[in-house]
Amino acid sequence: MATSIVASKRPFLSLPFLLPSWSDSLALGSRRYQSSYRRTKQRLRVKPDATFGSSHQGHDQIIYNPPSSAPSVYHTPSKFLPSNDARRSMRIENAGNATESVQDLPNVYRSDPERKYHLTPADVEEIRKLRLSDPMTWSRHKLAKRFECSPLFIAMVCEASPEKKQIQRQVLEAVQSQWGSKRRMAREDRKLRREAWGRDE
Amino acid sequence: MKRVQLQRWSSTVLSPRARTVSRLHQHVFATGSRCQSTASPLQAESSAQEGPGDAGFEDVELMKHVRSAHRRKDMLKYPSPPVDAALNSAKLAALHARLYLPSRLPPQTLARALVDASADPNPDFNNESLATLGHDLLTYYTTEHLLCTYPRLPLTVIFAAMYAYAGPKTLAAMAREWGVEHASLPGGEVDPGLLQFRRVAPGSDLSVATYNNRTPRPYAAQKAWRMTVTSKIFYDDEFGDAIKGPATSGEGVTAELASATFVRAVMGAIYLHAGRPAAKRFFEQHFLSRHLNIAQLFNFSQPARDLARLCARENFELPVARIISETGRKSRHPVFVVGIFSGKDKLGEGAGASLIEARERAALAALKGWYLYSPLNVRVPSSMEEEGAAPWKPVYVDLGEVIV
Repeated sequence: MATSIVASKRPFLSLPFLLPSWSDSLALGSRRYQSSYRRTKQRLRVKPDATFGSSHQGHDQIIYNPPSSAPSVYHTPSKFLPSNDARRSMRIENAGNATESVQDLPNVYRSDPERKYHLTPADVEEIRKLRLSDPMTWSRHKLAKRFECSPLFIAMVCEASPEKKQIQRQVLEAVQSQWGSKRRMAREDRKLRREAWGRDE
Repeated sequence: MKRVQLQRWSSTVLSPRARTVSRLHQHVFATGSRCQSTASPLQAESSAQEGPGDAGFEDVELMKHVRSAHRRKDMLKYPSPPVDAALNSAKLAALHARLYLPSRLPPQTLARALVDASADPNPDFNNESLATLGHDLLTYYTTEHLLCTYPRLPLTVIFAAMYAYAGPKTLAAMAREWGVEHASLPGGEVDPGLLQFRRVAPGSDLSVATYNNRTPRPYAAQKAWRMTVTSKIFYDDEFGDAIKGPATSGEGVTAELASATFVRAVMGAIYLHAGRPAAKRFFEQHFLSRHLNIAQLFNFSQPARDLARLCARENFELPVARIISETGRKSRHPVFVVGIFSGKDKLGEGAGASLIEARERAALAALKGWYLYSPLNVRVPSSMEEEGAAPWKPVYVDLGEVIV
């Protein structure tokens, strides 16, 4: 049985993990000959990529394999160049087909936040009144939902009362006092990592 | 070498009744040779009044010894080495040659550049005036280089870059690289090739204002008040720090500050003796040649917001973050590559372990791309001082940084 397998020279048999489990009993994998070494070696001879070959022998060509790294910050984007800079006109020609597919790229956020600009000064007054009158009910997010704007906008037009801020601080302290050392360190590390983004580290 | 010399001076000149002299005495009495007179001007002050030309000495070599001993004694009268000692100092000549200083700069001036104001308060013999000139030249050349090469840099980055190019820490490192050694104590008898300054007394608190505060800023005593970056242009020095007056006499300076003053004084001395082109060349060879990665000086807290403000100011389309590529979204170590696009133009690209991080990094790269713009063929205003310079074309001046 073993001799017939070797004699057949079917290439996938040189790789023992391709064999079904019954072949374990034959102890094929335990024997290594010069021929099996040669076959294994043969499998590793991968044909090089077409760009490395000499298929375009008639004319000269430039192979450009860009490295997988972020572009240098010293390379100013064409949009940021002043209008009288010579590099601006030089770059526009070769940037033609690369920008076509920009609209096809997926957005980082699910949907674009559409800007409605629908709130009137009277609405803003009402937001302030509601937030001052009952800060526990009318939180930022509830106000944002009611007036169909972002919580950031609510924070821009009004501020919570000092009592509400004090209560919120106490709630936060109560929650944080329950944290163990692991969670606390993880939170601190997260904050440090976030600060490192700004320094580009 | 330095220590050995100092020990010799102090034992023979500073304390005439030192152990070596008394041993010499015993030797003199034991043998009765002419060595006796060698020690005579050293062991007693009264014998110094007789002068070296006394008839009692016949030997020429002996006369030389006596004269040199008297000269050493004269040296002690001054707080810094005499001017003619500069010609005999090997250290000074070596420093002159090592820095490849122009031959028009005499070693006497280099020796003066090595004497700090804390060592010799006489302004005719210390390096204060040279250092003032050199400091102005250094900061002028650095500023014009930075402003013309990177016209869009924010002011805080300019302050940091100025400090990196011409700040006291850099200058002290340069003095160390030049091989300038410090004298333990300043005095007329030390080698003029050593940097001489009076050190700060050990244990003194440097954080306390030892320098008389000369800042013109109103309400400078209110430490808690916010200082705007713009006010630093008016009230503070070129590094954005409060202006300090010169140290009061009798107090020491740190080795860092003394070394920085020396480097500035060398710059001023080159300008005075060899002229503007030599000073400019010296600046380019020793200061501009140092590598500074300006992109590392930035620190943003909210780059995405700043970029949106920038695009609104410059009438570009609103920046949109789009995923260029990603891998392993559901794995423990995902990588997202996000690009920030304004219309069809890519402004920046960043990679991160989360979408938020990648977006922040991309916005940061876009902002740096804006701030680190550098025009082609940069010329600085001082290049017009060269002979046969091309007519001046105005440099690019930017609106200023993004203010949110």
